[in-house]
Amino acid sequence: MSSPAITEPRFAAVARWVSTGARLVLGGVFLVAGVLKAVDPQSSAAAVRAYQLLPNSLATVVGWGLPFAEIALGLLLLAGIATRAVAAAAAMLLVVFIAAVVSVAARGLSIDCGCFGGGGEVAPGQTTYGIELVRDAGLLLLAVWLVWQPRSWLALDRFAGARTGAPQ
Amino acid sequence: MSGPKNMNARERGRLAAEQAAARKRDQRILIAVIAGFVVVVVAAGIGFQAWRTTRSPSVAPSSSSVPAAPVTISDGRPIVLGSPQAPVTITLYEDFHCPHCAEFEEQYGPVIREAQESGAARVELYSLSFIDEGSVAAANAMACAAEAGFGQNYYLGLFANHTLQWRDEQLLDLAAKVGGSSSATFTTCVTSKARADWASSIAAAAKKNGVTATPTMFINGDLIDIQNLTPEALRKMITTASQK
Repeated sequence: MSSPAITEPRFAAVARWVSTGARLVLGGVFLVAGVLKAVDPQSSAAAVRAYQLLPNSLATVVGWGLPFAEIALGLLLLAGIATRAVAAAAAMLLVVFIAAVVSVAARGLSIDCGCFGGGGEVAPGQTTYGIELVRDAGLLLLAVWLVWQPRSWLALDRFAGARTGAPQ
Repeated sequence: MSGPKNMNARERGRLAAEQAAARKRDQRILIAVIAGFVVVVVAAGIGFQAWRTTRSPSVAPSSSSVPAAPVTISDGRPIVLGSPQAPVTITLYEDFHCPHCAEFEEQYGPVIREAQESGAARVELYSLSFIDEGSVAAANAMACAAEAGFGQNYYLGLFANHTLQWRDEQLLDLAAKVGGSSSATFTTCVTSKARADWASSIAAAAKKNGVTATPTMFINGDLIDIQNLTPEALRKMITTASQK
């Protein structure tokens, strides 16, 4: 960076702090959610199966692989590497999660989303689709913000040649 | 980002374009590397989980002193674990692959075991099998083990190793690990799914009893609210029930 921060427009300075927070929160949530699921391969496979969207064998593979995708994206976000591209991938994943929960609610299934481990069927009165959707929508908002404003503090992006989205 | 002062406008423009192209190229390479990283992590993760679910049972639970005798398996009737004369009946509806059942076992299992060992309570186990093929195989093997007289330890072993897929080899291996039998009868019972019909009769019985979720617990016929339970509260409930 050749221009000192002081000459940046005020918005960019604020945005940079907002992006720092968004990146750390989104990355932290992805990492934690991934680790909690990766702990138990039987649960994570059963959790995907409970959505009844995929054939069983495919659901198992997704149940095993998805937590590691979350861990990878979480680590990349926390490190601040290629923030814009990684945030875009996270946003796509969140859209899929939201669509899956909406589909489950629409079909009248009673399951736990298994977002942070666990999952599977629950008693009809114990679904929390509303909370799950609000949480995912909030995370999606953070991801979209990062696609728009990827520059942040404490990010490895600034050392890479590819400072994606840096204003000229 | 300013070039040398003596450059003319055209040269500066060319330099800027080159820099932009280089940046774009770097960016593409970085994104390709990152996509590769994610793919490798996911593939390794899938491989790791496949290994974890297909390996042989590794956790041998401490064997319990719950009275163990061969149990008769009859259609629609649960497996009885513990003294048949015990004053308290703890009815459990569990699937060996249900994640919350494994958590339930971890949290409340010791209290239940204590009551079984002291002769205060017996467990009537409805081993449901709605999650996957492994659930069916495990429920079947559980019945085989109970018939062979090592149901209690096998039950503990199934939950202690709940991340396994429950292929036949794993189920037979578990019997050996928990000090159970490796008799031809047990082996055949497991590999031929001899108690699969019993397992489906248990599913029908659960439906008839209005149980739709696992884990579900009754103490002397009263439904227990597991959501708001603590091990201490469970211990008290069992004591109270045994004094009635």
